[in-house]
Amino acid sequence: MKPPILIIIMATIMTGTMIVMLSSHWLLIWIGFEMNMLAIIPILMKKYNPRAMEASTKYFLTQATASMLLMMGVTINLLYSGQWVVSKISNPIASIMMTTALTMKLGLSPFHFWVPEVTQGITLMSGMILLTWQKIAPMSILYQISPSINTNLLMLMALTSVLVGGWGGLNQTQLRKIMAYSSIAHMGWMAAIITYNPTMMVLNLTLYILMTLSTFMLFMLNSSTTTLSLSHMWNKFPLITSMILILMLSLGGLPPLSGFIPKWMIIQELTKNNMIIIPTLMAITALLNLYFYLRLTYSTALTMFPSTNNMKMKWQFEYTKKATLLPPLIITSTMLLPLTPMLSVLD
Amino acid sequence: MLKIIIPTIMLIPLTWMSKPNMIWINTTTYGLLISLISLFYLNQPSDNTLNSSLMFFSDSLSAPLLALTTWLLPLMLMASQHHLSKEPLTRKKLYISMLILLQLFLIMTFTASELIFFYILFEATLIPTLIIITRWGNQTERLNAGLYFLFYTLMGSLPLLVALLYIHNFMGSLNFLMIQYWIQPLPNSWSNIFLWLACMMAFMVKMPLYGLHLWLPKAHVEAPIAGSMVLAAVLLKLGGYGMMRITTLLNPLTNFMAYPFMMLSLWGMIMTSSICLRQTDLKSLIAYSSVSHMALVIVAVLIQTPWSYMGATALMIAHGLTSSMLFCLANSNYERIHSRTMILARGLQTLLPLMAAWWLLASLTNLALPPTINLIGELFVVMSSFSWSNITIILMGINIIITALYSLYMLITTQRGKYSHHIKNIKPSFTRENALMTLHLLPLLLLSLNPKIILGPIY
Repeated sequence: MKPPILIIIMATIMTGTMIVMLSSHWLLIWIGFEMNMLAIIPILMKKYNPRAMEASTKYFLTQATASMLLMMGVTINLLYSGQWVVSKISNPIASIMMTTALTMKLGLSPFHFWVPEVTQGITLMSGMILLTWQKIAPMSILYQISPSINTNLLMLMALTSVLVGGWGGLNQTQLRKIMAYSSIAHMGWMAAIITYNPTMMVLNLTLYILMTLSTFMLFMLNSSTTTLSLSHMWNKFPLITSMILILMLSLGGLPPLSGFIPKWMIIQELTKNNMIIIPTLMAITALLNLYFYLRLTYSTALTMFPSTNNMKMKWQFEYTKKATLLPPLIITSTMLLPLTPMLSVLD
Repeated sequence: MLKIIIPTIMLIPLTWMSKPNMIWINTTTYGLLISLISLFYLNQPSDNTLNSSLMFFSDSLSAPLLALTTWLLPLMLMASQHHLSKEPLTRKKLYISMLILLQLFLIMTFTASELIFFYILFEATLIPTLIIITRWGNQTERLNAGLYFLFYTLMGSLPLLVALLYIHNFMGSLNFLMIQYWIQPLPNSWSNIFLWLACMMAFMVKMPLYGLHLWLPKAHVEAPIAGSMVLAAVLLKLGGYGMMRITTLLNPLTNFMAYPFMMLSLWGMIMTSSICLRQTDLKSLIAYSSVSHMALVIVAVLIQTPWSYMGATALMIAHGLTSSMLFCLANSNYERIHSRTMILARGLQTLLPLMAAWWLLASLTNLALPPTINLIGELFVVMSSFSWSNITIILMGINIIITALYSLYMLITTQRGKYSHHIKNIKPSFTRENALMTLHLLPLLLLSLNPKIILGPIY
């Protein structure tokens, strides 16, 4: 794609999300969403194969439906409250519609079916943008309407998302699908706590974005999209294999890595609100997630996969791929736990 | 406490920046110096309320375990020298760094004063152990072993996190020194039963309790020697230590809830001891004997009498040293014949007599010969469980007999009799190996002269 066009499209994506985050008028928010979606379609279609076309079509259909649902919720809200400002939604029907629409955009269960298929059909860089940047806009709207969201609905969605994210990823060897199911599970954790303490949702989103960015950058260094190609990394970048080990354990939420912070805080907030069984269930289901991350680390860092002799030559060539900001990203994704008392800055 | 933690952290730059032929010497020496510092903590005043740090404290329960942990690091390094000698330098340094990191987390766990801090470090010890087992183990079963180890422990400990946060909300603080004064009795109700279960299951899995012990034989057998040593000696004691700390919060419900676990432990003691009689794999035998000894500790902690707590503490230290020594002896066999099958290397007394002396002493301490601290621990536990219920003496007596049986079986199979003809050309014992055994045995024997150090806070 020619650089000027790429710059314009990237700028539109960012502007779209910015408009969503900064507006107080529902119409502008819808405009922001549509701008964002239309601009990202060419990014999803960077490669001209039918798989990418299918992925972008599925993405377009789900996101357009969700935007329309959102608009309907906005209109019902306008009907009952008479104003377009984003604030507490008094009408429950409008609230449920908006919640459904936003969770459809995020890929929460039961609207999660598009996430693995779309992520699989696109390149790693587009997948990275899809799973990190695209989550910011819907999450910010959920943050703004959080006092009026129906807790039962969202908690049900969150629980089923965590379950789906855990079980769905178990049978995957394609890295993009694994990251897609990981995204579904993490979105479930975030959705569980929006109605109780939205600050923790922001914390979880930030840490999730940091960890997913690091993971995708490590995958892009090696241009690996399957577990098999990832397992040849010990030949080329032995240091990166240890990075993948720590990063996967952090994604799985093991103390003392920073992936544990959101889980700890979310469980704390939920227990403060007298819910004991739900966080226990969510925490135990997160172990399913940990299983497939651990399987990735087994094949990458902890065992030496068989490789042919001419692969062993590759360590002699210097790698020239740019890994922008990789060291700070990895450090923030794994070593932030001692800084947990600084959470108060998020308020 | 920082005077132990910061030197341990600095051991990592020491490994990475030492000259290649000095990495083992440097780390072992400085590890021994750090263990010397930790010995100062064994002098515990009877009144432990004076505390100068917000995060760390030590009392007569954690000080012996701390001394055991810091003592074990140089021993682990000495034991690993042989099997790592052929690896490239970076991998040696990585292995040593993993051991040091594990040591650091363990020190912080034993001296943590707040329960959530304890929990985070309790889980943190899993990561270096997992890496050591799966990366440096020798057989293909090590992958399965790592998975079992990680997931059994995590399944037990996630409810513990929820329970700790609930108690935090309820009590206001989880600082262990403060909770002692705020404890209210826990009445018997369904939700309190689940709270009790959530708090205890993590430590039950770690000990391990008989029904949940599947991870232990796998992990111990597949781990390299340093991994086995630290697993048997210290990581199991984390469970015992945690249980002793958290039962203070759970009275008097423990009297009601303890029955199933007491039954499992009492029966499991005998079961695992009996399995030892039928083992062909030497490391597996020692692993099952660990389960059996830890079942005694579980019984002691659940009875909650002063004598039983003293017995539990003494038994933890004694078993740590004995088990670690037995694994070192088994490893010295493995390094020579590259097999863990017992009958392949018989009659070693004729070929390696000094090693046979260490085998004899290790087996004798394993079967709790007077006047070692193993005996003190077991005797106190047997006596207190007799006072809890008279019938348990039958089961305890059977267990002591079977323990003696398998210890002597192990000794006789490997040491006595005519040697198998294919082991005539094994290498003689290294000085390093003899030093290793001495360093294990000396604390064990010397502590029998002054056991009050390890008898815990009740003494």
